Amino acid sequence: MTLINENLVVLGLEASSKEDVLTKMASIAAQQGKVNDVQGYTTAVLHRESEYSTAVGFGVAIPHGKTDAVTEPFLMFASVEPIDWAALDGGLVDLVFLIGVPEKEAGSTHLKILAALSRKLMKSDFRDGLRAVKTPQDLLQLLKESDIGL
Amino acid sequence: MKVEFTIPFAEGLHARPAAELVKICQKAKCDIEMTKEDITVNPKSILGILSIGAGKGDQISVELNGEDEEQIAAELQAFFG
Repeated sequence: MTLINENLVVLGLEASSKEDVLTKMASIAAQQGKVNDVQGYTTAVLHRESEYSTAVGFGVAIPHGKTDAVTEPFLMFASVEPIDWAALDGGLVDLVFLIGVPEKEAGSTHLKILAALSRKLMKSDFRDGLRAVKTPQDLLQLLKESDIGL
Repeated sequence: MKVEFTIPFAEGLHARPAAELVKICQKAKCDIEMTKEDITVNPKSILGILSIGAGKGDQISVELNGEDEEQIAAELQAFFG
């Protein structure tokens, strides 16, 4: 299972708000056949955001929504200009990892992806690397080299 | 002191439960380490909590060391209870 590919990486996504970021990312996921209902998926992700911000500190957010609008598990990455994400630490977000998992797999698959990403995100080298990549291929290479286990 | 818990949350330890747990741990004066199997993390960080990937029914142990450890242990008991 390949969770992420270069079509699921967007560097310098232009967006005016958190909602805009998520809507655009969901549309791309749908174009790639990972989501069969953009509206349903976006609504699930935004609902989740409204309960608690998915910003995890260090300028990173890991939004997600569990819904059957997702056809197969995927991970998507976007870098954006620093944007308000209602983070608990008050900081802005410029790196976004969007996780999509079908509802029936939500418990185990979602936790596994989230845990693997979180372990890497604690390391400043990894975060610096994410901010330094110039192409989607570089990003995929960084994930591969970091032995993230996805 | 060391206390053990079983994760009661249907979706596992992320989202709201993780945010509430980090809040309890961040206000603690004592040092806290949280362990699941062979992974030990600092639960004063949201990334630390997320990185253990604890699902419903998983066992975690929490080691507390400091002046308010008993009070924090009681709060954790209520949180996971």
